[in-house]
Amino acid sequence: MDLLSNSVVDFLDNYIYYIGAFGLVFIGLLIILIKRNLIKVIIGLSILETGVNLFLISVGYIKQGTAPIFSKPGLDSAIMVDPVPQALVLTAIVIGVAILALALSMAIRLYRHYGTLNLRKIKEQRW
Amino acid sequence: MVNPVLLIVVPLGFAFALPLIGLISKKIVRFIPVIAFAFNLIISLLLIPEVLDKPMIISIGGFSPPFCINLVAGPAGILFSTLIALAGLLVSIYALDYIKEGPQEKYHILFILLLTGATGVVLTGDIFNLFVFFEIICISSYSLVAYLGNKAGIESALKYLIQGAVGSSLLLVGIGLLYGLFGTLNMADIARNITSVSNISIFVPLVLVISGLGVEAAIFPLNAWLPDAHSSAPSSISAVLSGIAIEVGLYAVVRVIFTIFGGSNIPMFLLFLGVLTLLIGEMCAFSQKNIKRMLAYSSIGQIGLIVFAFAIFTPDAVTGGLFQMVSHTLGKMLLFLTVGYMIQRTGSMDISAFEGMGRKMPYTSLAFTVGAFSIVGLPPFIGFFSKFLIIRSALAEEGILYIVLVGLVLLGTIIEGAYFFRVIQVIYFRGEKAGTVKKRAPIIALIPIFILVILIIGIGIYSRFLDDTLNSAAMDLLDKVEYIRSVLG
Repeated sequence: MDLLSNSVVDFLDNYIYYIGAFGLVFIGLLIILIKRNLIKVIIGLSILETGVNLFLISVGYIKQGTAPIFSKPGLDSAIMVDPVPQALVLTAIVIGVAILALALSMAIRLYRHYGTLNLRKIKEQRW
Repeated sequence: MVNPVLLIVVPLGFAFALPLIGLISKKIVRFIPVIAFAFNLIISLLLIPEVLDKPMIISIGGFSPPFCINLVAGPAGILFSTLIALAGLLVSIYALDYIKEGPQEKYHILFILLLTGATGVVLTGDIFNLFVFFEIICISSYSLVAYLGNKAGIESALKYLIQGAVGSSLLLVGIGLLYGLFGTLNMADIARNITSVSNISIFVPLVLVISGLGVEAAIFPLNAWLPDAHSSAPSSISAVLSGIAIEVGLYAVVRVIFTIFGGSNIPMFLLFLGVLTLLIGEMCAFSQKNIKRMLAYSSIGQIGLIVFAFAIFTPDAVTGGLFQMVSHTLGKMLLFLTVGYMIQRTGSMDISAFEGMGRKMPYTSLAFTVGAFSIVGLPPFIGFFSKFLIIRSALAEEGILYIVLVGLVLLGTIIEGAYFFRVIQVIYFRGEKAGTVKKRAPIIALIPIFILVILIIGIGIYSRFLDDTLNSAAMDLLDKVEYIRSVLG
């Protein structure tokens, strides 16, 4: 029993970031798929993007790692975290903010046209 | 030697300088895209002979690949950048008169950005850079679809935005997994190491990347946004979205599958997906009453045909697919541009409203007919040769399967013919004869339409003209080893 709980703890310790990241991704997707209110769908989109960003960061993460700056002598390069995913995430955050802003401003225009944000009632365009 | 970086930098510079130029004079703003894409067209044409000789690798930032972001100006990349610059030039000449309402400055900025993003996607050699350029295309096309600000425009732009954003998140997860596996983002470097990991761990990133890029490429289960977005955008934008944006998406899919993943067993799956996309697109197009929706569904059908061609995976078939991309770009752009003024003059998108157009707008109707015949694939036009090349290379393959699939493709072409001929019949043979007032499109809009007609007929008659470029572009896409060698040395 003790052994089992130890291995579970170990597993969580190693993969908790990935579990959290993909958890957020799936929560985001679920919200986008089932919610009727447009604002909630946009919130889902934002959660999805956060999950993706967290995932990217955890790809490069090392436990108790340091920033990859060779400022102090004696810093070991083996425990430095990978800076590339962090650069990617910065770009991805900027893109995410742009999409979010665009989506919200379109939601305002949509509300002016239809007087509702319920997606079930907005269906002029269809196959 | 001209540096291919200019193809991205110069239009980007023009796009950001445009508001400043707008402060000086509102009148010259609309000429900026024309200048930018004329420049791009000249540079691309100058680059073609050099690139056919040997692909150009441009490292940015002073490091050598795989440590820098690099541009790979191979035959395929330059072929596409020429096509993009040509489309940009013609559509921006058309837009000089067509775009009169709304915030014009923003239209021109977003238009330049859209095509700059497309140029970036076809030239880049780095997968994250590809994602960034892809997002430039996506975000500018979301806002351009909503440009008119009417009910339909906003609704379809939001639909497009939500699907596109989910797609790009999936793409980003796929890129993250690839980086986790290989520790590099350079496409050639990933391609070199791809055999060092097991097939199972490649599968998940492959699926994520293809479904992410597939949203923009409008491959069948991912294309619900396309008919709405293409039909609600201004016609000049529909022309670019249909002629350039989805083709660039498809180019990215093909580049990723062929170059990074090696593509030995994926094409079989794409073969069915392509034929399915083709049939669904053509059948939906057949049942449309709105002309722009019909053209949008027809684009889905054409994309299906191109996917089918690439999935056959022989040099001949890939050449055919690239040729079909060129002919679809020219043909569909011509159709959207002509339809734009027909809609403006009649005030309706209904096909039935086009009765008697053949007499009211003789030149525009004639150009529409040329475009329709080319898309359907009638002989003297460019569409015939590209379709013929694809069918011939499919029949060259062994097996009953290919014969069945070719049969389905030809069935799709028959449906395509049926709905295009129906429109042509309405234009020329319906409506009263007497007392029609001529309502011609302005001369400035007829110039790009005329150039497109010349190109469609000219390349159709002398199709050898493109042979060299298309063949080496096909080899560029198929030959993975050569790609890795030219980038990494």
